[in-house]
Amino acid sequence: MTVEYTLQHILLLVALTLALIFTYKTLVERDLIEAIVYSAGQAVAYGLAFIALMAPDLALAYIAVGVGIYSALFIIVVSHTERYEKE
Amino acid sequence: MDLAIVKSIVSGLMVLFITAIVLYTIRIIRGPTIPDMVLAVDALAYDMAVMIIALSFLFNTPYLAVASLPLVLWAYILDMYVAKYLERKSIGD
Amino acid sequence: MILEVIGWIGISLLAIGALMDVIAAIGINKFKNFYLRLHAATVGIIGGAFYPLLGLGLLSLSLEQLGVIRFYIAGISFTSAFFVLITAPVGSHILARAAHRVGVMPEPIGVDRLKEDREKGVFK
Repeated sequence: MTVEYTLQHILLLVALTLALIFTYKTLVERDLIEAIVYSAGQAVAYGLAFIALMAPDLALAYIAVGVGIYSALFIIVVSHTERYEKE
Repeated sequence: MDLAIVKSIVSGLMVLFITAIVLYTIRIIRGPTIPDMVLAVDALAYDMAVMIIALSFLFNTPYLAVASLPLVLWAYILDMYVAKYLERKSIGD
Repeated sequence: MILEVIGWIGISLLAIGALMDVIAAIGINKFKNFYLRLHAATVGIIGGAFYPLLGLGLLSLSLEQLGVIRFYIAGISFTSAFFVLITAPVGSHILARAAHRVGVMPEPIGVDRLKEDREKGVFK
C-alpha cells in the first residue's frame, strides 16, 4: 500500500517543479512561438499534477484546452501579428 | 499472480519514466530550434499518457484512465499548427 | 496458466518500454542536430509509449483480482495505443518537413538532394 503513495508524492513533486520552470520560461521568453511551446509543456505538467491529486475530470478539461485549443488559437493570433516581442 | 508484487514492479518501472520526463524537460529548455522543443513536448505528452494508465492501475480506480484518451488525441495539434506556421512563413504569404 | 503467461508478457513489454524510454531520453540530449534527435524521439514515442500501453492492457487483463475494472483499463489502454500508433508518426513527419523547409540543417553538410530537387521544380 505504501509503494503507490510514495510514487504519488514523487510524481506530485516532479510535476509541480516542472510546471514552475515552464511558467518562468514562458514569462521571460521574447520569441512568442517558443513561449507557446513552453506553455503547452506547462499544461502537460499541470495535467500530471491533477492526475496525481486524483482529479481526472479537471485533468481531462485542462489537457484538451491547454495542449490543443489554447496553443492553436495563440499560434493563429501570432501569425497575424509579429513573432518577436520588442524590448 | 500476487497483486502486491505486480504493483511493486509497476511502481519501480514508473521511476524510470519519471527520469525520462526530467531528461526530456532538459531538452525542451536547451533546445536551439523550435522543432526540437516541439518534438520533446510531444514525447513528454505521450509519456504522460502511459503514467495516467499506470496510476489508474495502481489505485484501482477506472475513472482516472479516461484522461489518457483526449491527451493522445490532442497532443499532435501542437505539431500541426507549429509546422503550418513555419512553412507558411518560409513560403512567404 | 494462460493468464499468468499473458501477465508476464505484459510486465516484460512494460519493462522494455521503460528501458527504451530512458535510452531515448538520454539520446535526445546527446545527439547533435535535429534529424538525429528525430530518430531518438521516435524511439521514445513508439518504444516508450506504444509498448507500455500494450503491456499495461495485457497486465490488467490477466489479473482476476481486480474485478470488472480490468476490462475498463484494458479497453482504454488498447485504444490509446492504437491512437499513439496513428498520430505520432504524422507529427514527426510533419515536423521534419517543416524543419527542412525552414532551413534547419546539420552543420557539415555534403549534399542535399531534396533541396536541389525543390530548386529544380520537381517538388513544390
